[in-house]
Amino acid sequence: MQKLPLMQAKAGMVLARDVFRGNSPTGMPICGKDTLLTDALIARLENMDVQSVSVQGHPVWEEGELSYDDLQRELDRRFEKTIQDPLNAILYDIHKAHLIKSMEGEGGRQEE
Amino acid sequence: MDDKRSELKKIIMDTKTLPTLPGVINKLNSLSDNDKASVQEMAKVVTSDQVLSARILRLANSPSYGFYRVSTISNAMILLGVNVVKSLALSSSIFEIMEKNSVGLWEHSLGVGVAANLLARRLKLPECEEIATAALLHDIGKVIVSIKCNEAEKEILKLVRDRGFYIREAEREVLDTDHAEVGGWLAKSWFLPDKLSEPVAFHHDVVKSENHRIKTSVVHIADVLIKASGFGNSGDCHVPKIQQVAWDTLKLNEQVLSDVVDEIEDKLVEVKNFSLEMIGS
Repeated sequence: MQKLPLMQAKAGMVLARDVFRGNSPTGMPICGKDTLLTDALIARLENMDVQSVSVQGHPVWEEGELSYDDLQRELDRRFEKTIQDPLNAILYDIHKAHLIKSMEGEGGRQEE
Repeated sequence: MDDKRSELKKIIMDTKTLPTLPGVINKLNSLSDNDKASVQEMAKVVTSDQVLSARILRLANSPSYGFYRVSTISNAMILLGVNVVKSLALSSSIFEIMEKNSVGLWEHSLGVGVAANLLARRLKLPECEEIATAALLHDIGKVIVSIKCNEAEKEILKLVRDRGFYIREAEREVLDTDHAEVGGWLAKSWFLPDKLSEPVAFHHDVVKSENHRIKTSVVHIADVLIKASGFGNSGDCHVPKIQQVAWDTLKLNEQVLSDVVDEIEDKLVEVKNFSLEMIGS
């Protein structure tokens, strides 16, 4: 799943999360997850002041964005001093799982 | 070594040489202690400072609050609550002091503020805004060290880089004190309430916090979480050890931690944009 500013959303991407008015879960729901984005839909979201959407996979790579391996290496480096601690080990596992989830769908895998 | 410490403390306590809080904050504090003061009066005080007004409106309209459009200070005060505006006013002055200093540290502090807020809400703690403000302030000592002891700061950063020290260890080595203690002194000299100064002073040593241990624990955990995310730059890159006493005080478990990490990672994207926008302005 990747969170994108609406400007970077393109037709053909699939929503990974519900979209709410005012970008807040207390707002009115506009569009459900698993919806295929179209140009018309993106224009409507724009009119409703939606600022960002979460889409499936990791379709947009920005310049300077780190690859999965780099992110993994950095995570290991941050934890190198405290990974032996049981509580920190829990946190490490959570972050690792999050990292894998955020990259999900890479290389053609599009299912959630 | 001890000389250095008392010297630094003297500098901190000598308010003339320190960044001071704007008069607006003091006026707001005294007004909010007065039962008879109205929101309109307080709004008037805030409005007298245009930069502060702009920041408050900006914060009130930021996605993290999720209100639609807030265009007047008195509306912002009614919607957000007086305490929130006070926290916002305080944090935007802190921002001013920090912004000039280091963007990395500002981002770290902002991140910890957001994380503390999310964690406090998730745990349904009272006074979430105060906790978030304390979190925003938690590394203010580093700013003071960098303003007042420029040479020592270089030495500290060298120790961190060359010997892989935690920044706090390096500070102890060079200054015989650390940013948490310095921050605590500063908070005292600003007459901030204990619920803000204690988390600042003890966020690396939760055990020492006696009156506000819950708040201190939240700030400590939030600091660890943001270091784990690698967001911003607080001087060193190592994730500190999660203190057992903080974990127990908040009765944390894996599920809560995992949910909060998910929420934080999500929010950090917005925080990044927000901080870029603030710095650009």
